[in-house]
Amino acid sequence: MSKSATRAQTAIYTGLLGLISGSLYFALYWFEEIILDWSKQGGWYFLVPIAIAFTFSLVHGSFTGHFWDLLGVKAKSAKS
Amino acid sequence: MEINFIDLGLANVLFLFVVGFVGGLVSGFIGSGGAFVLTPAMMNMGVPAIMAVASNICHKFPKALVGATKRAKYGQVDVKLGIVMGISAEAGVLIGAHLQEHITATFGKAGSNLYVSAVFVVVLAIVGSYVLRDAWKMYRSSNPDKEEIGAMARWIHSIRIPGTMMYFKSIDREISVLFTIPLGFATGMLAATIAVGGFIGVPAMIYLLGVPSLMASATELVIAFVMGLGGTIKYAWGGFVDIRLAMIILAGSLFGIQLGAIGTTYVKPYLVKVVMGVLMILVLFSRGVAIPVYLSELNMGPILDPGTASLLKDSSFVMLILALAVGAVIVLYGLWSGYRRHAQEQAAEAKKDMGMDLAAAHLSPMGRFERLLLVSDGSEFSQGAVREGIHLAQVCQGRLYALSVVGNEMENEALAVPVLERERQQALEHLRQVENHARQAGVTCEMTLRSGMSVYEEILAEAENHSIDLVVMGRRGRSGLTQWLLGSTTAKMLGQAHNSLLVVPKAAPMAGKRLLVAVDGSRYGDAAATVASHLLKCWQGASLTLLAVVVEEGPKPHSEMEQSVQQMAKLLNEQGISAKTQVVRGDNPAVSIVATAKSNQVDLIIMGTHGRTGLEKWLMGSVAERVIHLSECAVLVVKF
Repeated sequence: MSKSATRAQTAIYTGLLGLISGSLYFALYWFEEIILDWSKQGGWYFLVPIAIAFTFSLVHGSFTGHFWDLLGVKAKSAKS
Repeated sequence: MEINFIDLGLANVLFLFVVGFVGGLVSGFIGSGGAFVLTPAMMNMGVPAIMAVASNICHKFPKALVGATKRAKYGQVDVKLGIVMGISAEAGVLIGAHLQEHITATFGKAGSNLYVSAVFVVVLAIVGSYVLRDAWKMYRSSNPDKEEIGAMARWIHSIRIPGTMMYFKSIDREISVLFTIPLGFATGMLAATIAVGGFIGVPAMIYLLGVPSLMASATELVIAFVMGLGGTIKYAWGGFVDIRLAMIILAGSLFGIQLGAIGTTYVKPYLVKVVMGVLMILVLFSRGVAIPVYLSELNMGPILDPGTASLLKDSSFVMLILALAVGAVIVLYGLWSGYRRHAQEQAAEAKKDMGMDLAAAHLSPMGRFERLLLVSDGSEFSQGAVREGIHLAQVCQGRLYALSVVGNEMENEALAVPVLERERQQALEHLRQVENHARQAGVTCEMTLRSGMSVYEEILAEAENHSIDLVVMGRRGRSGLTQWLLGSTTAKMLGQAHNSLLVVPKAAPMAGKRLLVAVDGSRYGDAAATVASHLLKCWQGASLTLLAVVVEEGPKPHSEMEQSVQQMAKLLNEQGISAKTQVVRGDNPAVSIVATAKSNQVDLIIMGTHGRTGLEKWLMGSVAERVIHLSECAVLVVKF
């Protein structure tokens, strides 16, 4: 597989993750009131912000990692 | 307590995103930071204090999780130490928060602020100046990469208290948890007081436990995750978390933390100390400026007029932002200069390797193996590849590049630097032996050690770097799925490498006496025959068999295959090469090829590959891959 094909695949995957991440943020904005209502109640509703935080970290974290990768900002590979 | 969520304007969202990014950048690099700006920043927007703290901490734990995961991939995290210290830090947070509440109840808000500022100034003045001094000493030393273990850490290492000893990979020894518990506790106390536990946690790990600074800053992210998760549960249980604020900050900070983590792979360890020390001293000044205001409010010092008090408070906040910005600039500078230096080194090496003769290398005729990449992990399974790789380079008068890859894939995330370092040393030792053997055989050999998450990608990158004609690698057996040099790596190489591949089982001597070329009338078979003709010039006297397998109900009938083989033999004959032909029938070409090779006592099978990948390969399979797995002799897969 050529470098350009790999790069194209990475770009598609990154775009997909970005789309999912953006959708999550849109959902947070769209359902803002109900989410804040749940958060305010406290008690076992503490699971709401925790679950949101974990979900966002997973999706948005993957997206940001691939984003820098796509721009060519990668960790140094050790060589001696 | 009834609290209200604020309306978020675009300006506020952008501000939080940017501060989140900068904070994330610093956190990814030194393990903490940014939080001390975010809480007052949110309060300035009108967010109630408790909600600002709650939302800040709620962005912190997912950020730390992503940062810790990223840096674990670089082998920088000691998960066990992070969890052990994180749990004790959690206790520190609870006590610290309780103490804070008690001071607020007794002395009021100004008293609490004075307490926080005083702690800031005292702790940061002592620790910050020590860290900076140490960074300066490292910078001036003859070997800035080397970190000395301090006297205090050596003393702690020497203490053995039965029943409390625990092994930590980051320091490659046991220490008593009676030392780690108070350190974690202090980290938590400081986190609850000034929101940056890492200012005590990281230096404590470096100077008291002897953890290398890059590992200490990475392990701090695990502590921050444990503390952040506990803190978030506590505040979310009370209903104080504004998840919108937390997720907006997280949006920016995850971009930053990835970048900061990448930055750690390019810098020397002292730069972590520089960033941390500079940040501490600047934050110290920021809090110091505000102290007269709180003293004035408590009637413990000169009374300030409201204008002066306001100016000092604003200056303090601006200095906090400035501190964070300076930290981020140093991180970005370190990343940029390290990245450039690395790129220049790679370019220089590539130039040297290519001998300024790029065109000649790329136009290397098929079968002339001038540049061979020998991949070996030092195990017994690579012995065949080492032996035959050197031999082939010798007879082809090629140049040999010996490569070992130290994998730090996901399964190895928990491996600490000393463990990886040990693996690197072993791999280097093995490469030196290979280089020695090659030189004794009169072969020019260069060795390279790479590390990375994906072994085959490292091999591909190295092959690309040197414009390799042939990769030589070993095989561990027929199932071959559990070790790095096995199955999947070979299969991926077959699918994605641009160069030919020679796979040598450990006990398969490649005497160069009997060669078998599998042809099928396609251009891939023709390529295999061309390579064989070149090899026969090196191995004079070797016999060559051209084999075609006719598959029942296959696309080509027996007569057509027979004709292809005869035509190929005639062409070779015109070049002065004598070849036997053989056409066999079988359901499975791979099995037939291997069986024929065995019965003819062949020591090298040469074949082409269609180079299928992905769905096509899944549907149609790869004959070459199956032959490699089944064959008892070496297999050369020709790609062009």
